[in-house]
Amino acid sequence: MDQLTEEPKKLSNDEIFDVLNQFITEVIGEEFVDEMDITPDSSFTKDLEMDSIEIVAFSEKVKLHFGENINFTGWLSNMDLDEIISLKLSDIINYIRQCQ
Amino acid sequence: MANFMFVVPPFFGHLSPTLSVGASLLANGHKVVWVGITEVADKHIPDGGKFIVPFPELEEHQEEIEKILRRQDDGPSLSGPEVMKLALEETYVPLAKILMKGLSRVVDEFQPDVIINDCITFAGALCAYLKGIPCVTTTPVPPDVMGDTKNSAPKIYEWQQNLILGLQRSVGIYTDDIVIHSHLMNIVFTSREFAGFTDPDPHMKFVGPVKGRPNTIPFPWDRLEKAKGPKVFVSLGTLLVDIRKDFFQKLIEAFGNEPLTIVAATDPGIIENWPDNFIVQGFVPQSEIVPKMDAVICHGGFNTVNDTFMNGLPMLITPIAYDHFHTAALIENVGCGIKLRYKRLRITDLKAAMWEILTNDQYRNASIRIQQTFIDAGGNDTAVALLEDFAREVLEEKV
Repeated sequence: MDQLTEEPKKLSNDEIFDVLNQFITEVIGEEFVDEMDITPDSSFTKDLEMDSIEIVAFSEKVKLHFGENINFTGWLSNMDLDEIISLKLSDIINYIRQCQ
Repeated sequence: MANFMFVVPPFFGHLSPTLSVGASLLANGHKVVWVGITEVADKHIPDGGKFIVPFPELEEHQEEIEKILRRQDDGPSLSGPEVMKLALEETYVPLAKILMKGLSRVVDEFQPDVIINDCITFAGALCAYLKGIPCVTTTPVPPDVMGDTKNSAPKIYEWQQNLILGLQRSVGIYTDDIVIHSHLMNIVFTSREFAGFTDPDPHMKFVGPVKGRPNTIPFPWDRLEKAKGPKVFVSLGTLLVDIRKDFFQKLIEAFGNEPLTIVAATDPGIIENWPDNFIVQGFVPQSEIVPKMDAVICHGGFNTVNDTFMNGLPMLITPIAYDHFHTAALIENVGCGIKLRYKRLRITDLKAAMWEILTNDQYRNASIRIQQTFIDAGGNDTAVALLEDFAREVLEEKV
């Protein structure tokens, strides 16, 4: 929580993770999330099995919450297949921190 | 009369429409052969036709071929981007390389006037290009599954281009044009309206589905006639073996006590006690059953999709992998069904969606509209006429 005292406006990794976790639950549905163990290491496509419609819904929530300058789908569209396959929640947390 | 050569992949759904079209070409007096990488049972090959597997040239690749075919079983458990890699990088491109040498010999022996390559069997078009033989492509599914990657995902587009140009160069084709498909004629076995093409290139010929070949498997028709309530056909196609039990377990939970009858095409052995309102049989005469149904549940295999809309029925589609999601999106776009993703299937949603498509006429009406576009597209007769016209022009130019 050191970062918080230095840069009070920015959220910590843990705080961003909690918010993202909540969004994932809303998009996927609580009963399906219960069967998953969501961590920063969870991969988007492999562990969370999010399809394109879910990713768009998730992305809208991220944008609403963290601000218009977070263009999650735009960021994704510049990735190659291997980058998308290996994309983890922690990558998204880092991306949001960079944008903040 | 002309010599036609179909070049097909080891996937029956892609072979199937070429068998119907090929049977009609044979009946009209043409010579027709098929070339593929794995054998096809004689009973499927129309009278007078021949299926050729160039074994001598394939021998050194047997292990790799088997590995590629086994790898297809992983599809349902892979994510979308992994399936894209599986399809193009691990299946279509290597199969094209493997087939080239043997195909080249068979082409020299048979001397086809026209080579007809299936859309994922690139070797056919590449061989035609190298030998200067006119080529037509057949596409059994709605095209453009990967979407407009050039604009929406430039790095994925680049990956596709590099793989295909790399394949072309490896067989000695150094143009920067993509020549794995015909630029002269591409026969697509669905309707333009269903595939969502408003302004297709003129060489894209949407002919609608072709009828499957007749099927005389016995079925308990009397039981179906006595069945109460709406009748719903369920098929998971011939693949997807691993998830069958789980899938049908969910259907039992949802519909076991509902006032409708489920006709399920699956091995009855996967479940011990089927509810009384389920009629279950491993192999069924699907094209005879579907006209007697009120709705269909399927994962998006195009054989069942075509049968469903050819009969103007609404569909509950539960996409699992591959192009199922693309098909599901098309179905929702034209309004003839509801999509429920298999991975997030809730029993309550399943029930609600089923009764919605059974009781709300908008789905059936939309399906009847698609049915009309399928019929108007002309089907087998149009595909045969297109190929005969194409061959006539080719032969006239030769003279």
